[in-house]
Amino acid sequence: MMLFLFYITSAVAVFATVMMITRLNAVHGLLYLILSLLAAGVLFFLLGAHFAAVLEVIIYAGAIMVLFVFVIMMLNQGQKTTDQERIWLQPTIWIGPSVLAVILFAEMLIVIVSGGNAETGQIVDSKQVAIALYGPYLLAVELASMLLLAGLVGAYHLGKPMLKKTLGKRA
Amino acid sequence: MNSNQFIALAPILIIAGAAVVTMLIIAIRRNFVLINCVSACGILLSLLAVGLIWQANPVQATSLIRVDGYALFYTALLLLTGLSVIGLCYDYFKARTGENEELFVLLLTALLGAVVLVSSSHFASFFIGLETLSISLFVLISYTINRQNSLEAAIKYLILSGVSSAFLLFGMALIYAQSGVLDFNGIGRYLMNQKDMNALVLSGVILIIAGVGFKLSLAPFHLWTPDVYEGAPSPITAFIATASKGAVFALLLRYFISAYNYSYLPFLTVLSVIAVLSILIGNLLALLQNNVKRLLAYSSIGHMGYVLVAFIAGGRIAPALVVESVTFYLVTYFITTIGAFGIISVLSTPQIEADDLSFYRGLFWRQPWLATIFTLMLISLAGIPLTAGFIGKFYIFASGADARLWGLLLTVIVGSGLGLYYYLRVVVVMSMNVEATAIEPVEPVQKRMSTTILAVLTLLLLWFGLYPGHLIESILLISNSLK
Repeated sequence: MMLFLFYITSAVAVFATVMMITRLNAVHGLLYLILSLLAAGVLFFLLGAHFAAVLEVIIYAGAIMVLFVFVIMMLNQGQKTTDQERIWLQPTIWIGPSVLAVILFAEMLIVIVSGGNAETGQIVDSKQVAIALYGPYLLAVELASMLLLAGLVGAYHLGKPMLKKTLGKRA
Repeated sequence: MNSNQFIALAPILIIAGAAVVTMLIIAIRRNFVLINCVSACGILLSLLAVGLIWQANPVQATSLIRVDGYALFYTALLLLTGLSVIGLCYDYFKARTGENEELFVLLLTALLGAVVLVSSSHFASFFIGLETLSISLFVLISYTINRQNSLEAAIKYLILSGVSSAFLLFGMALIYAQSGVLDFNGIGRYLMNQKDMNALVLSGVILIIAGVGFKLSLAPFHLWTPDVYEGAPSPITAFIATASKGAVFALLLRYFISAYNYSYLPFLTVLSVIAVLSILIGNLLALLQNNVKRLLAYSSIGHMGYVLVAFIAGGRIAPALVVESVTFYLVTYFITTIGAFGIISVLSTPQIEADDLSFYRGLFWRQPWLATIFTLMLISLAGIPLTAGFIGKFYIFASGADARLWGLLLTVIVGSGLGLYYYLRVVVVMSMNVEATAIEPVEPVQKRMSTTILAVLTLLLLWFGLYPGHLIESILLISNSLK
């Protein structure tokens, strides 16, 4: 049963990714990308890595992707925006991602109702993840924080000239 | 973690601390000279720490990092590289407008990534170190953002580096799926107990080689190199060409030796093809270049091919000898490459980047000392006797001949012949008559820091070329620390 669900989810993930790459409109592509990441989250869940599944959903599908969609929508400011959003919301556009989302949702329901046993027979809970991260992988966590620092300083530097230009125009 | 491990990690901790302190000082007070001094002091402190623990026994600090002689030698090499790049950056950026202080924070984080790479003994620290290095490099490449091609170069590097990281991760995942461990020694134990070749491990390592090949700009994966070298500011190009490549190479060597990968002969065939392609493509395309930075970029592809020949020899000869030849070659390559890009960065002004060959016409008459240093660097890259480059190339030949890799050695000879032609072409252009040029005399700017660094590099170049004994002795000390 679980194996069957695993293959369905994998198919959803692959299909969503292919659709994402072939979309010409960035927002349509992002809808599929979110689905692809959600499917990856479900895969983690089926394998028993519940914590990784939740992280996948919160961080990738939740924070980063929603941010992308917002930014791309906000870049298109002006009169045309309303018309554009109307075009974006045609049924042909949203029906595909919605069907995929419903499939994933149904799978989750099945898993939860049937008791949530993982195919691997082992469930990794958040406590085990925490013990690993702050035990043998402590240095990796610290290094990752330095990596984020580099990214932050870099984003600050690269974002700065743009900000000055726009401020100059307004003044 | 006990105190012993903390002491062993001191160089890494100091670099990380220096990056944070530099960032905080920028937040309080922006002063280019101050920031420069603070970051240089951080590196010096870290070097001091390396000196203090140099004689200590190898320490395994968690399963991620192994601080042994090999790691410390490369750490010292990288820190010295970072120090000279900071010196070059000082002269290069002091006359430029804009906020140039963040550069040093990013250089320190890049250095941190590189130092973690050379001491990592686990896939997790391998990957995080590599990413810390790459993420800092994206921004460093595009640091002078108002120059058109620097942004282009950064985006090229960003995308190709992302793709190569994906390859790398997939390769690691395949190896993990088969062996169930992530640390190099564990993989080594697994492979030693396997009788037959394993298809998953084979494809995993080949994917890792592809990912690392991108970072090292080896031949089929070299497409980004000339554009990135051209677009980045010259001191940063020196950093990419040396620290980033050297650290990745040192890691690859450690991985191959400690994870027992030399026993898989197909890798050596794959690597041989890559080496031949790198040497031929790098040297042939360098013949066509009129831009000195692009010329050095293609020549660096060729040089990575030469080091790979010594690396491949590890299939047949003792690992200690491979470590010795690769390390010596990398040291000489570091010195000459920083020197060559240092010259470009000294000659550049905020208005023009001195990368066109016509800029060097008659340099012997305008700035004889710089031209002499540049000539020495170029003939060392070409591998002419009396310079360190010759001894390095000699090592490549010695290990290649020991392992009876005649085909590869023939390619090295062909590549060196081609190399001689285009390096000497630059020298010839520098000695051409000055009247033939229409370049107006550039205001001589005092660049004391850079000229001091170049003088030191030149002395080292001649010293290691004439009396390589000292360097070889210290390399011999470390070459047995890998197991």
